[in-house]
Amino acid sequence: MSPNLSIVLLAVGLPFVAAVVTPFLFRVLGEHTGYAGALVALTTFVLLGSQFGADGTVALSWIPTLEVALRFTVDGWALLFALFASGIGVLIFLYSPAYMHGESGLIRYYAALLTFMGSVVGVALAADLIALFLFWELTSLSSFVLIGFYTADDSSQYAARMSMLVTVGGGLFLLVGLLLLASVAGDVLGGSAFDLAAILANADEMQAALRDRGLFVPVLAMIAVGAATKSAQVPVHFWLPNAMAAPTPVSAFLHSATMVKVGVYLLGRLRPLLVSHEWTLLFATLGLATMTICAILAVAATDIKELLAYSTASHLGLMVAGFGFASAVGAEAGVFHLFNHALFKAALFLVAGIVAHEAGTRRIDDLGGLRHDLPVTAAVTTVAALSMAGIPPFNGFYSKELLFEATVEAAHELGTIGWLYPAVAAFASIFTVLYSLRFLGLFFGSRPDELGDVHRPPVTMLLPPALLAAVAAVVSVDPELAVRTIVQSAVDVTATEAHEMHVGLPTSLSPAVGMSAVAIGVGAAAYPSYDRLHRGVRSIPAAVPPIGANWWYDAVVGGLDGASTRVANRVHDGHLRTYATWTFTTTCVLALAGFAAAHVAIPTTVALDVSLAIALVLLVAVVATLAVAIAPTHVTGVLTLSILGFMVAIVYILASAPDLALTQLVVETLVLLIFLLVIEELPTYPGGELATPTVGRDAAVSALVGVTAFLTIVLTTDARPEGATSSARYYVQNAVDEGGGTNVVNVILVDFRGFDTMGELIVVSIAAISVLTLLVMRSRGESE
Amino acid sequence: MRTTARAIVPIILVVSISLFVEGHNLPGGGFIGGVLTTTAFAIIYVTFGLDFLERGVFGRDPDAELRPTRERVVDVYRRVFAVGLAIAVTSGLAPLVLGYPFLSQSFVVLEGVPLYDHLEVASALAFDFGVYCVVVGGLLTILSVVGAE
Repeated sequence: MSPNLSIVLLAVGLPFVAAVVTPFLFRVLGEHTGYAGALVALTTFVLLGSQFGADGTVALSWIPTLEVALRFTVDGWALLFALFASGIGVLIFLYSPAYMHGESGLIRYYAALLTFMGSVVGVALAADLIALFLFWELTSLSSFVLIGFYTADDSSQYAARMSMLVTVGGGLFLLVGLLLLASVAGDVLGGSAFDLAAILANADEMQAALRDRGLFVPVLAMIAVGAATKSAQVPVHFWLPNAMAAPTPVSAFLHSATMVKVGVYLLGRLRPLLVSHEWTLLFATLGLATMTICAILAVAATDIKELLAYSTASHLGLMVAGFGFASAVGAEAGVFHLFNHALFKAALFLVAGIVAHEAGTRRIDDLGGLRHDLPVTAAVTTVAALSMAGIPPFNGFYSKELLFEATVEAAHELGTIGWLYPAVAAFASIFTVLYSLRFLGLFFGSRPDELGDVHRPPVTMLLPPALLAAVAAVVSVDPELAVRTIVQSAVDVTATEAHEMHVGLPTSLSPAVGMSAVAIGVGAAAYPSYDRLHRGVRSIPAAVPPIGANWWYDAVVGGLDGASTRVANRVHDGHLRTYATWTFTTTCVLALAGFAAAHVAIPTTVALDVSLAIALVLLVAVVATLAVAIAPTHVTGVLTLSILGFMVAIVYILASAPDLALTQLVVETLVLLIFLLVIEELPTYPGGELATPTVGRDAAVSALVGVTAFLTIVLTTDARPEGATSSARYYVQNAVDEGGGTNVVNVILVDFRGFDTMGELIVVSIAAISVLTLLVMRSRGESE
Repeated sequence: MRTTARAIVPIILVVSISLFVEGHNLPGGGFIGGVLTTTAFAIIYVTFGLDFLERGVFGRDPDAELRPTRERVVDVYRRVFAVGLAIAVTSGLAPLVLGYPFLSQSFVVLEGVPLYDHLEVASALAFDFGVYCVVVGGLLTILSVVGAE
C-alpha cells in the first residue's frame, strides 16, 4: 500500500496550523486550550495511524528549480516515531492544563508545543534532505522557546540559550554533512540530489561514491556531531540536565520521548547508508561511553528531574550504541529500546511532575514513602522504574538484552579488545539499576517528617502516565505483540539485512543473560551503599572543575561573550566617523579581495577618447572635490560638493542621457536643500583642528575607496562588449510596440523591469519607515 | 526668499506633474516627478516652516499640544507612500487576474481627445503613479521628521 499524500500533508501541517490559531483558541477556551491541543494531536495520530502498513514515498514539488521537493516517506520506522510523537503529544496536552494551571504565557506554551509536535512528525516523515534539516531545526527552536518558558528566571534563560547553542550549533554540522551527501548524490543518482529516499534506495553505490571522493569519513563525522548534540551524547550531554528548567510536561515530551530521540532516529534512518567499520567504531563507542558516564552522573543527581535527565542521556547512549553495532541485533536493540524508553521515561517524567506539583519539592533527599499519599502513582512508577532498570519481565529488559547480545556478537568479531564493549555495557547497567531503584525508593521506605501535605493529583494528570505504564505492562507481558505490530517493520528499515526478530524471556544461559544477571545482582547488592556512592561521585567534579562539560561550556561562552563585547565597543563607538571608516574599509577590502579571488586582469590601456567639453567639466569637478576637502565650514563644503554633482549632471547631458541628467539634477537640488535644512544641527569638529593620525587615517580610507571605485569602473566598463548588447537592442526595438512609450528608459523601468522597480519602491518605503521608527523611538526614550 | 518661493513652487509642481505624465515618451517619469515634487515641498519647509504647510496646504490648525510633525503632517505622508505602494502592487496584480504574468503592462491609444488630440493611456501609468506616490511620501516623511529634530 502506498501512502496518501494529502493525508500525510494534513498530518504534518495540522499541528502548525493549530499553532497559528492558538491565540484565538486561547481567547475562547482559556486554560482549556490544552484539551484542544490534545484533539489536534489525536487527529494527527489517527491520520498517521490510517497510513499504518503503508510503505513508500510521496512528493510535493516545492522549489522545482533546485529540485527541492516536500517528499515524505512512510515506512515502519517513520510511522513508529511519528506515532510516538503524536501519541505522547495527546497525553502531554491532556496533562498540561492541570499542571500549568495559573501560569501566564500559556499561548506561547501551547503554540510552541504544537509547532514542536508538527516538526517532529515532519522529521520522522521527511524524505528530502532540506525538509529534514528544516524540521530538525524547528524542533530545536521550539525547544528553546519551551525551555525558556519562565522568562523571569535566569537559570531558565541560561538553560534555553545553552540548548539552543548546542543543538543548533550541532545542526549546522548536520547541514554541512547533508550538503556533502547531496553533492555526491547529485552525481551518482543524477537529478534529485536532495532525495533521501533515492539516496537510501541506492545505499551501496552511494557509500562507494562517498569513499571514492574521500568524503565518507567527513560526512559520517558531521552527521555524528549533529546527532550527538541533539541526542545529548558525551561530551555534549550537559545541555539536557539543564533543559530540565522547562515545565515538566515539556521535559517529558521533548527531553525524553521525542526531541532528543530525533538524533537517534536520524542514525537509524541513515544506518543502511553509512554502516561500516568506522560507523561501528564511532557510534558503539560514543553510545556506550554516554551510557556509562550519564548513568554514573544520574546516581550523583540530587533532583528527581536531574536524575531522569541523566538517565535519559544514558538510555540515548544505549540506543546509539545499538545502532552502532553492524549486526541486525544492534538495529533491533536501537529500535526496540527507543520504543520502550519512550513508554517508561515519559511516564516517569509525568510522575516526577505529579510529585513536584503535589509534594512541592523535587529534592530526592526530602522525598520518601509517597505510596501512602499517591498509591496509583506508586503503581505506575513501579512498572516504569523496573522497566528502566531492565529487570525481567518488564519491557526494558528485552531491549537491553538485545544490546547485550549485540555487544557480545561484536566482541566475537573484534577479538580481545572487543570484549570491552560487553564489559562497559554491563558496568553501565549496574548504575542504571541503582538509580532506578533510588527513584522507586521515593515511594517506599519511611516518609520524612518535614514532608508536608501531599494532595492527590487530578485525574487528567494521573491518566497519561497510567496509560503509558499500562502499555508498558502489556509489552512486558507479550513483547512479541509489539514486535509484530510495528517494531519489526521499523527494524527492517534500519537494518541492512532482513532478520526476523524474536524477543522473550530467556530459557537458556547465554552471555547476555549472564550480563543481565550480573548487572541486576551487583546493582541490588550495592543499593544499600547508595548514599556513599552518591557523595563519592558528587565530590569528583567539585574537586576538579574542568572534568565537567559544563565548565568548558561556561569558559567558551564567557570568553566569546567578552571578545564580542570588546569588538563591538571598538567598531560601534557612536561616532559616525568610525562607522564610516569600518564600513568603507570593509566594503573596499571585500571588493578588492573579490577581484583578486576571481583573478581579473586589470586592463593596462585605457582608451581616452573624451571630447574637450567633457574634459573641462570633469576638471571643474576635480577642482570642486579638492575644495570640499579643504572647505572651512560645513556650508561651503556642502555647496562645493553640489558643484561636483551638477558637473556630473552636465556630463550626463553631454553623453546624451537626458533622463539620468534630469534625475541627477533634481536629486542634487533636493540633497542640497536637505543639507541646508539640517546643517545648523551638525556639530563642528570637536577641538577644532583634527589630530594628524586621524587625518592620515581618513586620507588612507579615502584613497582606498577611490582606488576601489576606479578599479571597479575600469573593470566593468572594460568587460562590456563593444556596441549595443543584445538586451539593449531588444529594449530599443520593443519599447514602442510592447511598452507603448518612446522613452526607453522609462519603459524599462515600469514595464520590462517592473519587478526591479517594485523592489526599489519597497526599499524606499522601508527607509522611510526605519527613519520614522528610529527617530520616534529615540524621542520616546528621551521623554520617558 | 519668500517671494521667490511663492513664485517658483507652483512652477516646480506643474513641471513635476508634466514630467510624470510625459514620462512614457519624453524624459521624465514617476521617480523624477516625485523627487521634484518633494523639492517643492522642501522649499516651502525651508522658507515658511512646518506649520505653514500644515495650515496652508492641508487646511488644518496646527495643534500646539502635539509634537511637531510626528503626529500631524507625517501621518499624511505615511498614508501617501502606503497608498503608493498599494497602487504599484495592485497594478502589478491586476494583469495576474486577467491571466498575464505579474506586472505585465499594456496601453491604449485614444484619438481625438480635446487639447491633446492623440493620447496614449498606458497601464504602466498606474504603476508609475505608484512610484510617484511612494517617492513623494517616503522622501517627505524622512524630510519632515529629520527636519523637525
